[in-house]
Amino acid sequence: MIGLQQPLSGTVETTLGQAEIGLLFQDDALLPWKTARDNVVLGLTLNGMERGKALVEADTWLDRLGLAGFGDRFPRHLSGGQRKRVALAQVLARRPKLILMDEPFASLDAIVRSRVIRDVVALVEQGGISVLLVTHDLEEALTLSDDVYLLSQGPRARITQHYHVPIPRPRDPVHSRTHPAFAPLHEQLWADLSRAVDHRAEAA
Amino acid sequence: MLDPRYAWLRRLIALGLVLALWEGAGRAGWLNPLFAPSPSKVWVALVDLFADGRIWPHLEATFSAALGGLALGIVVGVLLGVAAALIPLVAELLEPVMSVLNAIPRVILAPLFVIWLGIGIASKIALSFILVAVLIFFTVFAGIRQVDRKLVERVVTLGGGRLALVRHVYLPSVAAWVLGNLKVAVGFAFTGACVGEFVAATHGLGYLLSFAQSTYNAALMFALILLILVVVMLIFAIAGRLERRLLRWN
Repeated sequence: MIGLQQPLSGTVETTLGQAEIGLLFQDDALLPWKTARDNVVLGLTLNGMERGKALVEADTWLDRLGLAGFGDRFPRHLSGGQRKRVALAQVLARRPKLILMDEPFASLDAIVRSRVIRDVVALVEQGGISVLLVTHDLEEALTLSDDVYLLSQGPRARITQHYHVPIPRPRDPVHSRTHPAFAPLHEQLWADLSRAVDHRAEAA
Repeated sequence: MLDPRYAWLRRLIALGLVLALWEGAGRAGWLNPLFAPSPSKVWVALVDLFADGRIWPHLEATFSAALGGLALGIVVGVLLGVAAALIPLVAELLEPVMSVLNAIPRVILAPLFVIWLGIGIASKIALSFILVAVLIFFTVFAGIRQVDRKLVERVVTLGGGRLALVRHVYLPSVAAWVLGNLKVAVGFAFTGACVGEFVAATHGLGYLLSFAQSTYNAALMFALILLILVVVMLIFAIAGRLERRLLRWN
């Protein structure tokens, strides 16, 4: 969708330019030789922003993500959660309309993960940003999404099920688990996924 | 349990003991001064070198050759390494040549350089250069090919083109690899200069070593080895500081 790989056939149609799409990887993929601030600045200057303005913008986003005072640190001198927040600041500072997330929280421990997810949800809701999240975590899928699509095993993965998540926004990812719609949806999703896995095992 | 804070003191005491034993054995007549002069005689030879000032032109010659070869070797090694990593045709042509140069003990080229460039400083610079350039070439070539794909993808998804990739990913990576090998390169550069001077020269620490050997002056030889050791360790320390400063992100 962002053009990193060319499709073997078919097309990807989008009304968004590349600058309007942000990408959050499982690994933070920060440039190790740049400070936290310069990593955020890079995303802005590559987008055409003048460096002076980008520096101010970078500090604003680092502050919003709880990293005030960490701007001069190199990624190696930050914790996993802090690095993830810098990567998030790098993406959000560009004010994207769509963020593609590829298991972005998988490498974080439970507490840090919960806090980062809370911040992501708040910032995405405030900014009115669409998110396409790829995850293996069913709870994460249900607490963060409005719509969940179940994909079959690749290669040539296809959408096999669609679930609408009626939990209202703004959401608190922790408390979303206690919403009456959560448990039945989780059960349904788990059952469908288990069936797909069993079917694959039998076919193998 | 040994306290790691005082490792330097224990090493210093051990060195002092070895020198004292060596000195004692020399004075007792157990060691032939023709082959193993006592530390005090080596010290006298070293002081003499500086006292009459005759060491300076030799130090200057070796330093000029080593640093000239080092600088040239780094520049050419980086340029060729980058070119080979980014342009397949250059890699196809250069890799076999560099592999052969890497496989052979490159100091065997010293007599050839003397024939081509004379016994002046040029042949010493050439030997230092070839030792350093091959090392740096492979460092940069392999480094760029192994650059973290995630970083490349990150810059691309942020909207960076080829120029941005070179500036923000490849160049810093190259700098890191070159600096990481700087100490080895310094060692190679001085090896090239000294071996070149040893083969044929009119000046330099290698030339003085050759002179000491031909006159069976073991004290002078030890003094020169000690001097080269100190000089290279000093440059190692400077290179180490530079590496720590420039790679402080690592």
